[in-house]
Amino acid sequence: MSNRTLALCRAAPYGSALAREGIEAVLASAAMEQDIDLLFLGDGIFQLLDNQAPEAIGQKSLRRNLKALPMFGVEELYVCQSSLEERGILPEQIQIPGAEVTLVEKPGELIAAYQCVLSF
Amino acid sequence: MPRYAGHFTICTPMKFSLAIYSAPHASQSAASALRFAKALLAGGHEIYRIFFYCDGVQNSNMIAAPPQDEADLISEWQALQQKHNLDLVVCIAAAQRRGVLSQREAHRLEKPVANLAEGFDLAGLGQLTDAVANSERLITFGG
Repeated sequence: MSNRTLALCRAAPYGSALAREGIEAVLASAAMEQDIDLLFLGDGIFQLLDNQAPEAIGQKSLRRNLKALPMFGVEELYVCQSSLEERGILPEQIQIPGAEVTLVEKPGELIAAYQCVLSF
Repeated sequence: MPRYAGHFTICTPMKFSLAIYSAPHASQSAASALRFAKALLAGGHEIYRIFFYCDGVQNSNMIAAPPQDEADLISEWQALQQKHNLDLVVCIAAAQRRGVLSQREAHRLEKPVANLAEGFDLAGLGQLTDAVANSERLITFGG
């Protein structure tokens, strides 16, 4: 996987612009046919949660952008297992249609395998 | 001989790109990026591109007017750009959201002012992808 890029998604979806702009950068990269995978960790896990209602706070849905990832060929979503457990979120609550969610016990080892890492 | 850039020891000259996500006066990140860029150039390395994204677009806002006894990062970026002919690229979508516009964009969007500082170029996110593909190291600051 030497030429692949890994994007770290660390920010909750609506508290700052970082999560949205991170996913936009990932989509732009995928649209240019770069191989890119995602690792959700820390509060970034919250981006994946189903039944979000961002319109209640005047925000656009970020999950809609995440659902577009498989259409751009981004099908590998890694999720830090301990981040998930710390937040009491179950794997079935963070599924994205068309994408494979893989729980990762040792995120450091995953990150180390990539030639380039984008951090959001 | 190894060269010393702060805490890093980098032995052979390499091609770097920087991604900057924070505004000049909100955190130390942009100032650290500037110092890192200077250290790279002083150490004989090449900077392929500096990409300003998220709140980092404020580094190219020429109407920022910090007090005289505080650092003026915008001017420092411009000086470094002139000296080393750096490719300073500002994400156009992030800049529009935050009110950093070139003459052309201000005209197109019917806004009364253009404030993109000289030496910076507006471009799409593809330029970040291109920097990833063409650099040996990408270093991210802020966010």
